[in-house]
Amino acid sequence: MSAAAENGVQAGAAPMLEVRDLQVQVGGQKVLNGVSLSVRAGEVHAIMGPNGSGKSTLAYVLAGRPGYEIISGSASFEGRDLFALAPEARARAGLFLGFQYPVEIPGVNNAYLLKAALNAARRERGQSELDAFEFLALVRSKSHLMQIDESFLGRAVNEGFSGGEKKRNEILQMLVLEPKLALLDETDSGLDIDALKVVANGINSLRGPERSVVLVTHYQRLLDHVVPDFVHVLARGRIVRSGDRALALELERRGYDWLVEQAAA
Amino acid sequence: MMSTSATALRPTVLDRVLHDYRAVADSLPGDAQAHAARARAAGLLADIGWPSIRDEHWRYANLRAFERLPAYRPAASPRQDAAATLAALQRSGALPPLVPGFERLIFLDGVQLGGERSWQPPSGSAEAAQWCWPAELRLGLLCDMFASDAARLQVRGEARIEVLFLTSPAAAGGAVYPRLQLQLARDSRLQLIERHLGAADAAALVACNVTIDVGPGAQLRHYRLQQCSRETAFSDTLWARLAAQAHYSVCAMSFGAGTARTSARVQLNGRGAALDWQAIAAGRGEQVQDTALSVEHAAADTRTDEVFRGIAEERARLAFSGHIHIAATAPGSHARQSLRGLIEGDGAEIDLRPHLEINTDEVRASHGATTGRLDENLLFYLLARGIDRHSARGLLKWAFLGDVLREIALPELRAQAEGVAAGQLQDVPAMEVLP
Repeated sequence: MSAAAENGVQAGAAPMLEVRDLQVQVGGQKVLNGVSLSVRAGEVHAIMGPNGSGKSTLAYVLAGRPGYEIISGSASFEGRDLFALAPEARARAGLFLGFQYPVEIPGVNNAYLLKAALNAARRERGQSELDAFEFLALVRSKSHLMQIDESFLGRAVNEGFSGGEKKRNEILQMLVLEPKLALLDETDSGLDIDALKVVANGINSLRGPERSVVLVTHYQRLLDHVVPDFVHVLARGRIVRSGDRALALELERRGYDWLVEQAAA
Repeated sequence: MMSTSATALRPTVLDRVLHDYRAVADSLPGDAQAHAARARAAGLLADIGWPSIRDEHWRYANLRAFERLPAYRPAASPRQDAAATLAALQRSGALPPLVPGFERLIFLDGVQLGGERSWQPPSGSAEAAQWCWPAELRLGLLCDMFASDAARLQVRGEARIEVLFLTSPAAAGGAVYPRLQLQLARDSRLQLIERHLGAADAAALVACNVTIDVGPGAQLRHYRLQQCSRETAFSDTLWARLAAQAHYSVCAMSFGAGTARTSARVQLNGRGAALDWQAIAAGRGEQVQDTALSVEHAAADTRTDEVFRGIAEERARLAFSGHIHIAATAPGSHARQSLRGLIEGDGAEIDLRPHLEINTDEVRASHGATTGRLDENLLFYLLARGIDRHSARGLLKWAFLGDVLREIALPELRAQAEGVAAGQLQDVPAMEVLP
């Protein structure tokens, strides 16, 4: 039984995320050259590829970062046209972007950001806002899972955090917000082995039949801990190969060149 | 030819100032020495002249606002019945809540409510010469000429005092001259809140003088909050002298007035003296807020830390000029300037000018000045967390001012200052977001 089946994925279910023939350019340079991707609820997809292949661009475009020109193609999230939504509306609809380089925001504390973001999501879902005690209890439990000291909550967002702390903070935010779809852009980069396990535990704790994860990564080491249902290789702006976890292991042995050459041929 | 002739006949602003002075000089309070001191100030202003934007010190000041005033003589505000006036002010909500532990002095249109006039203008003694305003502080001479009262504080031991300068509608069309004179004795401690508030329709000149002597080992924490009405032209002239091991810490917040100019000079005269100058300014509409701060390191092991954060919205103009001079007699000095501006309007302008002048080898000095718009990367990060654009912008502006607001050690005052800042800026609700 596949991991997706274990998570309750139904083969005939409509995709949560459907990307079709997406072409994107930045500054006149085409970066995505016809990407198609279908992610159903409960699935974990890994997108791998060499530097400059367009992995981060795909994550940013789906999350709505400005500066990218969509030439053609479409993306839908639970049947809604993703590109018609502002970035904040995409987030409130349940799409979460875990940043490769989380920014530091001096002067804004973590607790405030988390509470503002959570309450925005809850309002969108028709839920009441959490009061201070409920919020604190929730954040404490998630912080414990991510091995983040509570004192972090009173500090400015990511200010003075190490690279690993920033990544754990990203996953903490994800766990508090409980998105339907998490796009995690190289969440494993810069992590030591112990931190990688903590981050992986956090991601795994979110897995379930109603949630999906898209992991963008260079290396398969994260996939030892977060086992994907599907692995895709992005090269020269398009997906050149898809498979299961065995593909990631093959990439670990052979590198990307052979696929890049095939894509160029 | 006709127009040239007409221009020549038009009185200059200096003519008008001196005319007003001569018209009221005899009726101003004080003894013969006081009148002599006023006359000297008038003579000095006549000699050095009205400032010009051609002068580097006044380049970014909105001098026109000070030149178009209808009158420079003190407003003819009636001497108030203190108790009744105070009660009326409290009923109207004009008075901010008292910060716990602070004693409050209230000045209405330049005159202390319920207090005896405490100011004797400097006589022809050495004191007058010491406080003889240099050209870059020359608007301070207006207060020397016209002021009729002063908050004079001589501190020994520890004290917490708030001085509230209120401008009433009765001052409209005239001028108000608040004056604050501080002397801190050796090893004394003073926490001082200085506020300038104006009634909404009180169009007036408010020209404030502050002189400060911080004695050896003394510490002064000085919170300055300027909330004058938009109709006000506000001139603020400050001169502080620090003795050995003295520490002067300023937290200046400028939100009000149509035009506000701060001219400040701080002299670090004693070994180990230290200055922390932290300032924020927020302008919108057509507001102009300009600060020219000059710091002189005259003794060894002195320190200056200068922080400015300004937000200009709509068509507002902000300027901050920080000049630090380290003399040859000041080895071991340390100076840092961090000046940052945030432009939030197509017609807004911010000019930041850090300037270090170093005449000795053994110093540590750094300066940085940046002006720009909100960082799109930070904005996107917040949007990607589902925070709406309006709130995200507000949050980032709030954070920008946080470098200074966080330094307000008095929670009640900080809450009040945050409330004023929130009212002044677009997109910024009052929120407790600062770590």
